[in-house]
Order: sequence, then structure tokens, then C-alpha cells
Amino acid sequence: MSITLDQVTKLYGGVPVVNDVSLDIGDGELFVLLGPSGSGKSTLLRAVAGLTGVDHGSIALHGRDVTRVAARKRGVGLVFQNYALFRHMTVADNIEFALRVRHMRARARRARRQELLRLVSLEGMDERLPAQLSGGQQQRVAVARALAHKPEVLLLDEPFGALDAKIREELRRTIRAVQRELGITTVLVTHDQEEAFTMADRIGIMNLGRLLEVGAPHELYSRPATRFVATFLGAANLFLARRTADGIRMGAATVAGGEPPGSAREHEVVAVVRPEEVAVAASATGLGERFIACGVVDEMVFSGALERLRVRLTDGAAAPLLATMDAAATPYVEATRTQHEQRAFELHRGQEVALGVRRVHVLPTPLSSFTVCAASAPAAEALAREPLLAALAARMKTRIAIRTEPQLGAAQAAPADPAPFVGATVVSCEPHAAQRAEWLLRHGAGEVLVLPANAAVPQRVLIQWLDPAVREATLAVSASVLRHLPAEAVQGAEMPTGPPSGEVAPELARRLAEAQAQMLMVGVGDIRRFAERFAPLLDGGRWPVLIVHRAAP
Amino acid sequence: MADPRPAAAPRGATAADAATRPGSNTWGSKLVRWLFIAVSLSFLAALLIAPVATVFATALAHGLEPYLASFADQDTLAAIRLTLMTAAVVVPVNTLFGLAAAWAIAKFEFRGKSVLITLIDLPLAISPVISGMVFVLLFGLHGWFGVWLEQHDISIIFALPGILLATMFVTFPYVARELIPLMQQLGNDEEEAAITLGAGGWMTFFRVTLPRIRWGLLYGVILSNARAMGEFGAVSVVSGHIRGVTITMPLHIEILYNEYNFVGAFAVASLLTLLAGLTLVVKNLVERARAAQGAPSEGA
Repeated sequence: MSITLDQVTKLYGGVPVVNDVSLDIGDGELFVLLGPSGSGKSTLLRAVAGLTGVDHGSIALHGRDVTRVAARKRGVGLVFQNYALFRHMTVADNIEFALRVRHMRARARRARRQELLRLVSLEGMDERLPAQLSGGQQQRVAVARALAHKPEVLLLDEPFGALDAKIREELRRTIRAVQRELGITTVLVTHDQEEAFTMADRIGIMNLGRLLEVGAPHELYSRPATRFVATFLGAANLFLARRTADGIRMGAATVAGGEPPGSAREHEVVAVVRPEEVAVAASATGLGERFIACGVVDEMVFSGALERLRVRLTDGAAAPLLATMDAAATPYVEATRTQHEQRAFELHRGQEVALGVRRVHVLPTPLSSFTVCAASAPAAEALAREPLLAALAARMKTRIAIRTEPQLGAAQAAPADPAPFVGATVVSCEPHAAQRAEWLLRHGAGEVLVLPANAAVPQRVLIQWLDPAVREATLAVSASVLRHLPAEAVQGAEMPTGPPSGEVAPELARRLAEAQAQMLMVGVGDIRRFAERFAPLLDGGRWPVLIVHRAAP
Repeated sequence: MADPRPAAAPRGATAADAATRPGSNTWGSKLVRWLFIAVSLSFLAALLIAPVATVFATALAHGLEPYLASFADQDTLAAIRLTLMTAAVVVPVNTLFGLAAAWAIAKFEFRGKSVLITLIDLPLAISPVISGMVFVLLFGLHGWFGVWLEQHDISIIFALPGILLATMFVTFPYVARELIPLMQQLGNDEEEAAITLGAGGWMTFFRVTLPRIRWGLLYGVILSNARAMGEFGAVSVVSGHIRGVTITMPLHIEILYNEYNFVGAFAVASLLTLLAGLTLVVKNLVERARAAQGAPSEGA
């Protein structure tokens, strides 16, 4: 491996800007770090270059641990967004800088410089000053300069950011060609997904300091694992759907979903439908099995090869949409059509159309949506307005449903609503919270979030499972939540388990009280006497607690 | 192949500026323009040119011979020597301090940074006489360290060290003030590039940082020098007015004037004016060089 990052964390003022990133980059690979601004990608690159120290974790280059090695001794080449050429030096002096530092002889320096200038197609520019070159040429010089000392690793920090589209494309091709010719391991940081697609062998997507997913461009595009990646990498319509034995049910339609259903139990999932997989037809009959909803064309944008449509759903209730709500909370679907499709069926704004789905991808995320549950409708609505819940739902691009259960928590009563509990069920933290949680768990809820009033967005998340059988599920749910929080994750140690021990809840409460703004993820396998055991933690508690329960097989 | 950019970019910019100025072609605007120029020129003539002309006129009132003869005086020569020596010590010391302070403020985050920035400005804000008094209070016979200094037979006040300290105090903001905004604006990119290319701290400073800030640095040095040679108030308080020993040129001029030796006083004054004029010429050359260098780097 050329670059190995192991649990790298960088804090600014106590807030992690790079949060527990582990990554292996192979020899000769061009790896693209992609993310919105402020996602920590540039900080991570600077940490690899040695310009920024790390607070935790280690960085190795070609197997050599360089975490504590000064930047000048790491032997990396770094290219900056604004070139950072030495403005008072000629192109030749710029390129030879690293060679002078290494006391290379003048003749050898000149030979190396000529070779590099040929590589970036700037022969004969030796005596120019940077100010006499165009932006694209300056960046070529910067690349040549960064390669002069034959670094083991080339790092590019948004190298095309300041260039116009035409030059950018040309320079991309040059850098790709140079990288292939030299076989040098390269990391490129960008916020431009098109750039990532055209350059990368593999892409790593970052958000809120975390490395969310790593994979080949086509893999990430067709099979994203998280909502963020699905919507950041290209456009995506997110639906709440049901996974059944037959496939993915969305409204009236049942579509064969990528992977075979994992468990026999029908459950809620988040389905990704790319705009190009949305079929647009005049009527539902034209779509047959694939029909999901009707809508009105709200917006049509011509963008060269493709036509982009925004279709407002008129009977969208059948297939709840997630990500694409406009300001007035009207759900709409984004679709693209090729020239060929446009000719076959011409559209105009305001036209009624039927929408179908050609292909769906189901996200493996265990938290599909939130459902607040309370004994009365006003209590449930108040709970749905809790700032932490609203923030989580907005960041996770999911919805908050409301469910009233008058008998909530009553030992002998069954749910009034026969529908199964889907997604995470949210209850308030009033007295008897533990009893309510147990009742929900008994009636099939897999995840229960006990939410105190006005809870702060957590800065630390404590993860604890009380049964080895629920370890996987607890970690999966935790990861799903943590992706959307700039919080530090702390994994709990082995805890005494089993029914006789009543010590677990006070111990957890003690640990939650240790720091400000903590949240607990707790996995439980056995829910016998749950209310009794967890009352000290949950009843009137001050911390958000997400209980993950999976019945023993 | 890209054409080299025209070197005279700022000149082009001014022409464009003038063209877009509203109403630049009307009679009224022409009148206003002449009026403004006339007022400022007459103001300049009354307040600047006339006094300077008086200096030379009075100095040469009795011809060239008495003028030159006044420089043969031992005390005058001692005053000139002291002033030049003070400048020669103070300016390099303040250049080093200014560089260090500007570096610290522009490149690092630390507690008390804003206090440091304010303190650097202090000598500009308080009266020079008070700057001198401070040193008397510290090192004078009845000052904090007075007894200790006397026991060890060290004289600071009414001696060369006092003059150096007072001059240093009033001139230390100039280099730092000039460099802080410049270094903050330039950022760290080039330094970081040099470091990743393997350069150490000194090499980065001399090969990358210093060439970038050289004109700003020189400008600060010139201002600092001008003030060091011309300082009167602070030096007057700490000097003790010992003829031939602690008298600088500005102090010497006052003494000669008070003795009704107008030719001598104005002769020394004319020399000081010439030195100031020389400083201004150098400053202008530096500004011009900076503008020429600044033009391409504006694109950065």
C-alpha cells in the first residue's frame, strides 16, 4: 500500500474536522477525495502532506509511519489550488527548487527540468516568470515542480478550481497522462463530481469529516450505501418503500430490487431511483407494472444531450418521497430523458404524466425513517418538533411520521394501529419511558429512540451492546446515525450482561453524565424485565438513547 | 503560447478609471478640477515649500563660506555623527524586531495576539515627550532602576544608551506596521510549497518569504530611518543636552538657534532636510519598484 491512513482524527477547537478516517490507497492508484466544502477533505490531504498534524491515528507512506515526520522529510509532491508558484522565480528556478534543496548538480538539474517540462508540454518556457503564464500553464508548472524530486506520492488540492472549463478538461487529461506514465500514487481532492468520475480509479466520499464510502466510480453511482452518497454523486430520488418477498413495493408497483430480500420479515427501506431510471408516459397503462404515481410537469430544462424534468406528484401519497421536497413540501420527482425519448413523446409544462420506475437500488441503511409515537396526537406533534429529531431527520433526508397509540405502555394492550412499526420509533423521556420502550420493543419495533426535551445535538456518541448477537445491528444503526453528526464515537467495553445484572443502566447513566452532550446507542437482545432494568436510565433521563433490539434467532 | 501580460497594467487601469468617471468632459468639472489643483498647490506652497525655502535661504544668507564654515564646528560634527550612529543602530534592530513581530502575528495564532498588535501601535499614539519621560522614570537617578544602575556605574539617561532606547521606542512600529498586513495578505501557500519540496526554515525564509516582502520591508526601514534621524521630543528628554556628547542634529539646531547663530542653525537644518529629501527620493523609487512588481502579482 502506498498510503495507509489508520483512524486519523483532526480536531479544531474540540470539533472533529477529520473524524476517524481509515483508508488504504494502492500503488499507482489515482484516488479522488470528493466532498462538499467543509467536509474535511483538504484537511485530510494536508495531514498526509504533513502540513497539518493529526490528533489521533497514524499515517504511513509505503509502509513507513510518517505521522510524526516533518512535512519536508515526507517526500510528497503537493499542488495547490492557487498554484503557489514562487512568483519572483522563473519557471526553471521554480521547478529546480526541490533539486537545489537536495544539492543536485546544475547539469543534472537542467536535464531533470527539461524532462519535466516535456512531461507537462511546456518546453521552452524555462525563463518565463509565473506572471507571464496563463492559469493553466501555471498549474502545469506547479505539477512539474511537485514532481521534480520524484516524490512517492502526488497530492493535488482542488488543482482545477481556478481554471475555466476548457483549460480544466485539457489539464485533467494531462495530469491523468502524466500520472499513468509515471505510475505515481496520486490523491486528488475536489468537490466536483464530474471531475471525480473522469479522473478516479477509486473515489472516497467525505462529509462532516467522515469518509463515508470508497469505491470505483460506477460502483458508487449504481450501488451507493448511504443517502448522502446517493444524492451527492449525481441526482437521486429517494423513496420510502417496502421490501417484500416479491421485491420492492413502491406504491402500487413492485419492482425487482437489486439484492434478494435478506429477511423474510417485510420491512421499510430507502430506495434510490436515478432520474434516468424514471420512465415518463402519457398514462399509467403505458407503464404497466412499473407505474408508481401520476404528476404534472413543473419544470423542463434543456441541457444538451439530456432534458431535465421536475414532475410534481399529484397522487404521491402512495409512494412517500424523501429527498426531493420543495419549500412548500410538495414532493416532486426528477427525471431525465434522452433526445430519442423526447422525440418519441413530446412534453410541455403543466402536462399531466404518469411516472414509472425502471430500476431501483435499495440502500442498506437500517434507519429508513422516524415515527413519533405518543398517547395523544398533540403530544406526538410536540415530540415531532423536537429540535434534535428535526435536525436528524433533515440531515438524514428522511421524514417524521406521527402515530398515536392511546394504550402506549399499557402492559396488556395491543397496538391500536395494526400496521407494523417501521424505521425508528421515537418516544419522549417522561416518567415510564422505559415501560413505553419495552411495549414498543415487544410489539415489533426494532429501534426505539427515547428523546428528552430540547436535547442538544450530541458531540459524543457512546455505543454499547449488551448481547454479542446484536453487535452487528447496533454498529450498523450507530454508523447510520453517526454519518450525519459531527460527533465522536466511543465504543463501550464489554458489559456484564444477562437478566440478573441490574447494574447496567446506572453504569451507563454514570458514563453519560461524564461529558456534555452525549448520546447513547444501546443494543439489547433480551427484553425480559426491560422496563425494570432500564428505568434508572430512561425515566426522566437527560440523554437521547437509541435502543436497538433484534430478537435472538 | 500566451503573450506576456503588459507590465504597465496599473497605468491602463487608471486610464479606464478616468474614462468611467462621471461628467469628466463637462465645463463645470474642468473648473472644479482646476480649482482643486490651485487650492492644494497654494496650500502646499504656503505650508511646505516656503518653510523649506526659508531654511536654505537663511542658511545661505551670508554666502556659501559661512555656511560651509558652520560644519567645521566640532559640536556640529559630533551631533551629525551621533545622529548617524543612532540611526545605524536603531534601524537594524527595529527591522529585526518588526520582522519577528510581523511573522508571529501573520503566521501564528496565539493568546494575546490582539494585545501585541495594539502595543506595537502605542509609540505612534503617545506623545514623544512622554516616550522620553518613560525612560527617565525607569532608568533616571530617581527611577525604578536608578539606584541599581548607579551602584554598577552604568549610565543610561543623559547618555548614548538612553538616546538609542528612546529613538528605538518611537520608531519600532514602522517596520512591523508595514509588514503585518502584507504578510497576512500574502498567506502561507508559497512557504508551504517550499516546505513540501524539502526546504528548511531558513531556506524558506531567505529564498521564498524575504523576496516576497522585500519592498514592504524596505519601505518600513526608510520610514523608520527618517523618524530616527529627525526625532526631537523623546531624545530631548533623555539626552541631558551635553554638548558634543549627547546632542543629536535636531537638538543641536535648537541650541544654535537659541544662541542666535541663525546661519549655523539653518545650515544643520538644511543638512537634515537634505537627508529627509534623500529618504523621500529613495522611498519614491521603492514605491515605484513595488508598483511594478505588484502589478503581475495582483492576479494571484
